[in-house]
Amino acid sequence: MDKLKAVSWFIFVISVASILYALIINPPNWIVYAISIVFIPLSILSFGLLSMARGKKEEEEDKRKEPFIGY
Amino acid sequence: MNLMANILLNVIISFLVGSVLLGLQRKVMARIQMRPGPPIIQHLLHTFKFFLKESAFPKTAAMPFYIAITAMLCVIWVAAVIVGPVTEGSLLLFFAIYAIHKIVEHNAGSSSGSPYGKLSCVRAVFSAAAEVPLFAVLIIIYLKTGTMILSNIVTYQNQHGALLLSIPLAALMFFVLILSKSPYSPFAITKGKDIVSGYETEHFGLLRGYLMFSESIAWYMLLWIFLTVFIGGLNPVGYLIGMVVITAFVAFINALTPILNPNHSVMTQVTLAFIGIVGSVILLLY
Repeated sequence: MDKLKAVSWFIFVISVASILYALIINPPNWIVYAISIVFIPLSILSFGLLSMARGKKEEEEDKRKEPFIGY
Repeated sequence: MNLMANILLNVIISFLVGSVLLGLQRKVMARIQMRPGPPIIQHLLHTFKFFLKESAFPKTAAMPFYIAITAMLCVIWVAAVIVGPVTEGSLLLFFAIYAIHKIVEHNAGSSSGSPYGKLSCVRAVFSAAAEVPLFAVLIIIYLKTGTMILSNIVTYQNQHGALLLSIPLAALMFFVLILSKSPYSPFAITKGKDIVSGYETEHFGLLRGYLMFSESIAWYMLLWIFLTVFIGGLNPVGYLIGMVVITAFVAFINALTPILNPNHSVMTQVTLAFIGIVGSVILLLY
């Protein structure tokens, strides 16, 4: 498992756990606001990083090349 | 209802409704231009599709800022949902959110390393200079109602009638702001097709889907604020009808107007802001 995938899994689990905590435990309002503002976006981003398709290792370098370097 | 459930529900509604409204806008534009156009749910489908697409991060991108800036856009519009439909808080916070939105446009362009993104980044500063004065609408609303709190503005309108009728030029200014944020708008210089997709050019695949998710919420929220501040006291069906009408009207304008060049766009917005501010003050005095 590469670094990006490991970090994404970590953030995703923390985010979902925090959202579930706010849903079930019902903490003070300011904590719920903080969880919503930070962890709703992070949960979606980390989910995306996990769900996105990854190209072949040997092709990845070509895809990352920016054709306009030097402008 | 549990606060977290309330927030989640509002975020989901704003994303789904915002996506469908942006799809509706494309459909109306296409029909005006004698094209069949994509299905109304196309924007929504694209958002989901991009989450599954193969993504790679350009070598020139400033990591991790390149990814973090997309999360920032989502953060501010989730915050807007909390300030808006969930708590009916202060309009000043919306001003802050909108200002950060302009900063996100700027930084998304600069973090990508693409010349198109960088040009868009410069244009974002240009357009911010024109769009922020349009937010002077807040001062006019404060002078008229004596409050910045959304729930109090709604109460004021229940007693004195819709602000749309008493400060129409302020409503026009806010409408221009909404128009500026719509895709294919005459003022959409940061995403002008002359610079491919502007600051989003190098944000493809998953990150594009993520940006589209936030933009759907942004579109819903801008319409929600307009309807709440200038009409007020609407039920969910009223909001939906209002949003569809404004979106269709915006589509009509966008279908018939080319994207202005940056100088003309900024000057038009500044002129409208000037007319709106001076005219509204005169209307308030008499």
